[in-house]
Amino acid sequence: MEFISLVTQSFSMLLEPVVLAYVIAGFLIGTIFAAIPGLTATLALALLLPLTYSLDVTTALMACASIYMAGMCGGSITATTINIPGAPSSMMTALDGYPLQQQGKGALALGHAAVGSMVGGAVGALLLIAVAPFVAEASLLVKTTGKFSLLAFAVIVIIIAQRGNMIKAAMAACIGIMLSTVGLDAMEPVTRFTFELSELTAGIDLMPVIIGTFAISEILIQANGSGYAKQAVEAFSKVKIKRRDFLPPLAEIRKIGVICYLKSSFIGYFVGTLPGAGGSMGSFLAYAETVRTSKEPETFGKGNPKGIAASESANNAVCGGALVPMLTFGIPGDPITAIMLGVLVINGIQPGPQLMSGQADLIAPMLAALLFSAVILIPLTLFLLGPYFIKIVAIRKDILYGVIALLAVVGSYVATYSFFQMMMALAMGILAYYLRKNGFPLITLLLGFILGPNLEEFLRRALALSNGNPLTFITNLDSLFFIILTLVFVYFLAIKKPLKTPV
Amino acid sequence: MLFNKNLVFYYFVLLFSMGYLVTAISLGNPIVESRLEPSFFPIVIGSFAVFFSLILLSRQFAKNKAEPKTSQTDMPASEKAKFAPTLIMLAIFVYILAFSYVGYFISSYLFVLSVILIFSSVEKFLQKAALSFIIALVGYLLFEQVFGVRLPALWE
Repeated sequence: MEFISLVTQSFSMLLEPVVLAYVIAGFLIGTIFAAIPGLTATLALALLLPLTYSLDVTTALMACASIYMAGMCGGSITATTINIPGAPSSMMTALDGYPLQQQGKGALALGHAAVGSMVGGAVGALLLIAVAPFVAEASLLVKTTGKFSLLAFAVIVIIIAQRGNMIKAAMAACIGIMLSTVGLDAMEPVTRFTFELSELTAGIDLMPVIIGTFAISEILIQANGSGYAKQAVEAFSKVKIKRRDFLPPLAEIRKIGVICYLKSSFIGYFVGTLPGAGGSMGSFLAYAETVRTSKEPETFGKGNPKGIAASESANNAVCGGALVPMLTFGIPGDPITAIMLGVLVINGIQPGPQLMSGQADLIAPMLAALLFSAVILIPLTLFLLGPYFIKIVAIRKDILYGVIALLAVVGSYVATYSFFQMMMALAMGILAYYLRKNGFPLITLLLGFILGPNLEEFLRRALALSNGNPLTFITNLDSLFFIILTLVFVYFLAIKKPLKTPV
Repeated sequence: MLFNKNLVFYYFVLLFSMGYLVTAISLGNPIVESRLEPSFFPIVIGSFAVFFSLILLSRQFAKNKAEPKTSQTDMPASEKAKFAPTLIMLAIFVYILAFSYVGYFISSYLFVLSVILIFSSVEKFLQKAALSFIIALVGYLLFEQVFGVRLPALWE
């Protein structure tokens, strides 16, 4: 209850003009980046990460929360209007959104997407606010041995979540962990893999890894582009949207039903708590469940608003779910929460159980901003800026990437005032570019890089406490719990047959 | 075909993993009196990396054998697009070097202009040059004035 009242009080921070301006700016930037095919809210956050250095950490986290929420719903704009999902999480939205657009009801489809996003985002944020303190308390029961098993669980689950691409995911995770071992050893005064470069003694900074992996590699991928943007710009020119068409009739919302919104939101939330699952899996499962339980499954994929509602409710609820493991255990579930973790780390704040109990005043405003973005900014942005979305996202590619390239490279300098870190960002960008081109998922690389140091530290501590006896991982109940959980996930995600696409 | 274009990256990953593993082994004994030493974890991870990279290489090798003419998944749209990533890498490298010597403004202006030209063409050059100037100026105002970042200058 104490935490809930803290979140409630934090809404007053949104009355401060500067804070509100950052939250709104974050939301708009997130929406625009998510709406433009090829760009993502992750890229927006990676580019803005260096700027958080000069911000108060609470304001920075609030802006991050609004970017995250915007990133989940912004993708529906292009998914609906031109059948190109701006973000992967909106893939299922395109299935019913685009047929509605073809029927001349594009604005209505966007209205349904906004209502779904609003409900899903709000449910996810409320569940997060209600559940996170209890999870944080429960996480105090996890001791050193259990912490290693939990981190190993996170890494394994995120690898096996990349179905059909597991070996590449595992390799990318290994590369991330290998990079994290560069520098001074955590337990002994020994340097590793520094090759006598003094700049590497403190290890590789998180900032160039994030900027290189998500910003520079994106520029390189787009430079190698497929003519995708041209196709999008041509499609944009044919789309006309009027403000008055955005409001979905109450009868249609009733037809979709509270159950559909809530069930999809819960699915999204729980999927969000799993490492690596993300918005696309959340919306896929919610969509599949909605089709399965529908009395008229044949109408899905042909412009059924229920499909849009299910997909958008779920992917926005993922935001709340994904923040649970990040805040309570320091385990990010997706690239955006990984970057948010970076914001905490660069400000000297260590996520984990202590964060929720000792520094809840830092976290509460972020959750308030998440809820505010879902309930106020999603519908307001659509209503005020909806008719102009198409013009905004049809921005010239050369100008756009000129700006992104400048922000990315100068951003890597801002963090440390170091030219070495700029070169490191470039090196990471080139590595990430070739990894992406060859189908390696970058999320496992980033998670490996972030979790690697703790994984090693807890392994060594656990074995030191048990005089080198590896059975300690089975004899300790907390560790055994996570080992069993890992096996359950391996069975369901890697061994059991995958779900088929519902439409 | 041991040296197919599609295999180059996989060879690189294998070499990187092997180099890491060898360096990890050279760090010393992994276990001393039941206690894990700094080399233990890197040896484990390096071994996994070598194992996975060998699997990937053999799979790619088999794939190439089955479909010898299949190239990488996303084919570039044109000849220009094929070289664009390399040009961007080069532009960023030169920009980072120039950033420290000639300061933010000139280097950023030329960098943005080069990125714009790589993403489009030399048509409407003056318009693009003007836009690059505006972007560099807005970047300066954003970083230096709004966020208080001290950017390098030609004369300090």
